[in-house]
Amino acid sequence: MTDEVGALVFDMGHYSIRAGYAGEDSPKIPRCCVCQAEIPSTYGVTEEVTNGGVGEPMDMDGGPAPQKKYFFDTNSLHVAKRGMEAVTFLKDGMIEDWDAFEKSLDYLYEKHIRSDPHLHPVLMSEVSWNTRAKREKLTELMFEKYNIPAFYLVKNAVLAAFANGRSTGLILDSGASQTSAVPVHDGYVLTQAIVQPHQRVQITKWGSGRFWCMGAAVVKIPLAGDFLTHQCKLVLEENNIELVPPYLIAAKDAVKDLEAPRWTRKSGLPEVTKSWHSYMVKEMLQDFQSTVLQVSDSPYDKESVENMPTVHYELPNGYNQDFGVERFHIPEGLFDPTTIKGASASTIGVAQVVTTSLGMCDIDVRPSLYGSVIVTGGNTLLQGFTDRLNRDLSAKTPPSMRLKIISSNANTERRYGAWIGGSILASLVQVYEVSPNLVLWMGKQGTFQQMWISKQEYDEGGKSQVDRKCP
Amino acid sequence: MSDVLDILSVDRPSTPEVTKESILGTDGKKKRKRLLDVSSFKRPEGMHRELYALLYADHRDPPPLMSTDTGQGYKQVKAKLGLKKVRPWKWMPFTNPARKDAIFLCHWRRVADESKDYPFARFNKVTIQIPTYTDTEYQQLLSDTWSRADTDYLMEMCKQYDQRFVIIHDRWDKTAHGDRSIEDMKERYYSICNALARARGGPDVAVRAYDADHERRRKDQLNKLYHRTQEQVEEEQTLLSELRKIEQRKREREKKTQDLQKLITAADSSSTESRKTEKKGGPKKRFPIHKNARTEGTPLESTGIKFPDVKSCGVSLRSHRMKLPTTVGQRKTKTIEQLLQELGIDLNPMPTEEMSLHFNELRSDMVLLYELKLALATCEFELQTLRHQYEALAPPGKVILSNWSLLLSLSEDTPGPAQEILVVKLSFYDFRDHKVDCDFINSCVLF
Repeated sequence: MTDEVGALVFDMGHYSIRAGYAGEDSPKIPRCCVCQAEIPSTYGVTEEVTNGGVGEPMDMDGGPAPQKKYFFDTNSLHVAKRGMEAVTFLKDGMIEDWDAFEKSLDYLYEKHIRSDPHLHPVLMSEVSWNTRAKREKLTELMFEKYNIPAFYLVKNAVLAAFANGRSTGLILDSGASQTSAVPVHDGYVLTQAIVQPHQRVQITKWGSGRFWCMGAAVVKIPLAGDFLTHQCKLVLEENNIELVPPYLIAAKDAVKDLEAPRWTRKSGLPEVTKSWHSYMVKEMLQDFQSTVLQVSDSPYDKESVENMPTVHYELPNGYNQDFGVERFHIPEGLFDPTTIKGASASTIGVAQVVTTSLGMCDIDVRPSLYGSVIVTGGNTLLQGFTDRLNRDLSAKTPPSMRLKIISSNANTERRYGAWIGGSILASLVQVYEVSPNLVLWMGKQGTFQQMWISKQEYDEGGKSQVDRKCP
Repeated sequence: MSDVLDILSVDRPSTPEVTKESILGTDGKKKRKRLLDVSSFKRPEGMHRELYALLYADHRDPPPLMSTDTGQGYKQVKAKLGLKKVRPWKWMPFTNPARKDAIFLCHWRRVADESKDYPFARFNKVTIQIPTYTDTEYQQLLSDTWSRADTDYLMEMCKQYDQRFVIIHDRWDKTAHGDRSIEDMKERYYSICNALARARGGPDVAVRAYDADHERRRKDQLNKLYHRTQEQVEEEQTLLSELRKIEQRKREREKKTQDLQKLITAADSSSTESRKTEKKGGPKKRFPIHKNARTEGTPLESTGIKFPDVKSCGVSLRSHRMKLPTTVGQRKTKTIEQLLQELGIDLNPMPTEEMSLHFNELRSDMVLLYELKLALATCEFELQTLRHQYEALAPPGKVILSNWSLLLSLSEDTPGPAQEILVVKLSFYDFRDHKVDCDFINSCVLF
């Protein structure tokens, strides 16, 4: 049973922004030439003083201030441009740069969705620690600027749980910037809402930050995909391997293992910014990361790991070598932060994030949370991630609890966990087929359509509606 | 087929009208016709039903002469589409009766259904009823340690989160309304519900019982269980396994003493007055209940050979009575043979009435004797090991009287009085001159 109301689902992360119609199984827009509606959440921005720029992607209404030009999506972002900074509008999972966020939505509506915003209700995901002010601002923006007929905001942990057919569970979400453990009970996030300012510890350097305890039960650490990328960079630089992103390379020759690469530099490149260059390096390393790295089954031990098969990898400039020990050493930091150089003693690993979060929940809900630890997020696709998590967690599970780790095997389902959950939720009656638990969650409302904040409700009740209607 | 008919110029009916039934292959007419065929074709005389079933299994059609692929088989015939008028769909706005605002959303629907109600409206659930109260009611019934503001806030939260107390506790505004546990909230909420229900519906209204203290204790216990350290868990495990071992040992010992007791009783009975009665009673041994307090109440089984009663099975040879029952093991049989040879008795004597009786009795006694010997040997062995153990444990120079140990081994299953006697005796010995440490006495008492 489905009832299509043409709802759109947006899910924003530090790696990419996912958008698509509800009812699809992955974020994609039918009839769209770029079928996958997923754009990097990093965009290029240039500041130009000249007036009347040519119709490149998006122009802001001019004024005395220098005009900002935004470059969204992979294609325009990957062209080397003078003075183009690579930035993201998100900070800590929350929207920070509202102008840029608006522009990215404009871009998505225009190039990917190619339909009028006022025709489609919108369901958006948010991080569990989103602030009230930001939620209200987002609601305001969606109704005032885009004039959407209905809006709904859901915590991404809840959506990930729905995508796995549960309404209760502990969501371990390891994405690009954070690894977080969020307990969800009956479709509500257990936040212990009040966030004490002194609980937030500023992170200055990768790996040196301590875990952030948001309120009580939501625990997150900065040990995630970006952290691994950074570790890869450190290790490769330590081994005197030059990191040359593909945009610099004009030609290269095949060389043997461990030989110095022979490549020619592309000429006529404009002067690029440091941030853009490091983004290019990061992208290159992300490929290295997903190809080479593997989490060892048991705590890292150099002798046993040396017997494991090596992986041959060739960098864009032609340099190639077999990677053996590094494969296991780099991701070990996720589970055992003591192996990270310069990490403070209070940094905790992934398994401990889960147990810390569980330990803060009410004892009565703990068994059901232990019974469904849901693994989601792109970083969990790392080879051996769930096996290791299972091992570490079982050791920490008290005998009175039964541990079960839920992780879907399909790559897309884990990468787009929150989006898929949103897709399920927004297409309402399908919910009945997914899980009877979701029906319970809908107890009051019956069908999801009753839960939307409608334009009319917004007009009458204002932006604070979002706090009342979206738990 | 139609081509063949054309060639043979056989008239055939004009193409039947395409109906829904013909598309779906559920034509009623065909079925009726087939049924008629079945009734007209009878099973030939003398043909086996199974064979007939093989021949006419499927549709009662005659079997094909050559392989064909025109039969329906398991394949669905292609649907003949496109003969009906299309029923168009339309992107149309609709209202959901569950919403109070006039909404706005559109969905795809058949034009024919345009005027119909929203089909999913029936899934709209009824809101959970949260009781409300007036000012006077609150003053009369609900005054509590909770303030009015807190109570109102609690009711509001219950309404918003559908009585999910875990969530309510999570979202509870601690600065404004104080830190309250889930149990406090539940207690307050249910007491309000109950008070209002009683006041409005009379005394016999069903009351929801909520024992907050019990819940608190339960949660406390759960927390304790959860926060056990690894060492504590391991300790519990080892303790449990130790307990299991002890119990197993105890069972073994009990079984042993029982066996021994059985043997002793059998020996007693067979050596005394019971012999006479047995002679009259035939080969089947019966044990009179012993007068001794030690065995009273515990029915004992024979340890000798139980020869089966042959009375019931008509005519039989008397020599059958002398046959050893199958329950006697190979080893026992061997021993009996050996003993008989030692005594110079024929293995198969002439089975006169008297002979068979005596022979059986003899063999039964032999087995008993054999078992007694065996038991004695084990007892002595145990005694030895215990003595060694004791000597190893106790410092040398302390002599144990052998009859103590005998007492010990005998009194393993003795009920209370005998045990007391034992202890008294022990202490008596103790007082005389032998120093016996308390542990030993304790262990004796434990026996």
